[in-house]
Amino acid sequence: MKTPQLSRRERTLLNCAPIGEERIRDRSMRSAVLRASESNGFANQQSFDRAVAALVSSLPIPPATAEWFSTKDLFSPSKWTWKKILRNPAVLAVGIALVVIAGVLVFQFVARLNDFPGSATARKLLTIAGSTRSVLLDPVDADARTLSDLFFMKHGLEHYDVPPEFADFHTIGCRVFEDDESQRVAQMWVAEKRMQFFLFPAERDVKSGAILRFPGWRYVHQEGWVGAVMEHNGVCFMAALRGREKDLAAYIPKAKQ
Amino acid sequence: MLGDARKAQEVFETTLREAALRAAHGELPNQPFWLFRDARWRCLEASETDLQAEPLQLEERDMTSVAPSQVAQLEPTQLAIWISGAPDPQRTALALFYLDEFDYREILELAELKLSELSRLLALGRRQFQAWLDAMLPEKTHL
Repeated sequence: MKTPQLSRRERTLLNCAPIGEERIRDRSMRSAVLRASESNGFANQQSFDRAVAALVSSLPIPPATAEWFSTKDLFSPSKWTWKKILRNPAVLAVGIALVVIAGVLVFQFVARLNDFPGSATARKLLTIAGSTRSVLLDPVDADARTLSDLFFMKHGLEHYDVPPEFADFHTIGCRVFEDDESQRVAQMWVAEKRMQFFLFPAERDVKSGAILRFPGWRYVHQEGWVGAVMEHNGVCFMAALRGREKDLAAYIPKAKQ
Repeated sequence: MLGDARKAQEVFETTLREAALRAAHGELPNQPFWLFRDARWRCLEASETDLQAEPLQLEERDMTSVAPSQVAQLEPTQLAIWISGAPDPQRTALALFYLDEFDYREILELAELKLSELSRLLALGRRQFQAWLDAMLPEKTHL
């Protein structure tokens, strides 16, 4: 057997080398033991340690002490109570995260409850309504119902009709523009309550191209504005004002909502 | 650690009783090996009340290949008495090491030693024990 050159650290470790290799749990010890495995001195040490450990394990244990280890654990593991579990920081953090996620999901679900075909466009138009100044529109002086002809004659927009509920409102400005999806939108500014009307193409099924219809009036909300939307002949009409739903509901007969 | 089964039994029971009381009050330490550390200090306290051997320079010998057969001739209590006679922390180091239940890092934590100290104490213990074996067993074998 040869004696390998061992560093001081390795010699220090080897003096503490475990009696069985299964108890080697770190790399430096494993490496030191491997390097010394062929040396006589280390082999003597290991046999000596094994013999002493065997003698220690044969030390008689008094019966009164042995009883403690014979049948049951010294201590039952601490019981997990709900209180303990809830106080665990990890559980607490996961709990808070789940509550937040649940809150967001509920919020989105509630928001989606009122969705209808064209609601996304309606919300975008409410944002436009909030940023529009009356000077941007072409001045007109007519009832809203008469503008249908103007939209058809001047812009070729068919069925851009104002529903009867809002047909008699006095209009002071209007314009036709293309939104970000190149849809042509008619916008009107009426004198009453600084209300604005929008007419835009109803949403269509992506595959079939069929108009996605919905019955009656639907409400949308965006940035403090509220809009009441209805679909007729493939065109959606939206009456919008800054305020609450009840401000707009007054103009819409209950039976038609 | 004590070289005396009766004292060891007392320490064992006291340690467990104290641990049970602490558990009942929800005051169990959150550290690994606290029970063993507690038992160790109780052993050291218990042995302080005993008559102390005069500190003397023990002989040292290199371990030989016949050591295992020498050890095999010993009674377990002889070994226990020899280890319990060692000064602490060597006594703790030898007792914990030859229990063969802990790895060296656990012994370092339990005995509050540095690696170099544990290494020196174990190496010294082996050499002293070998010298004791050499001195003890030739006489015994002649009996």
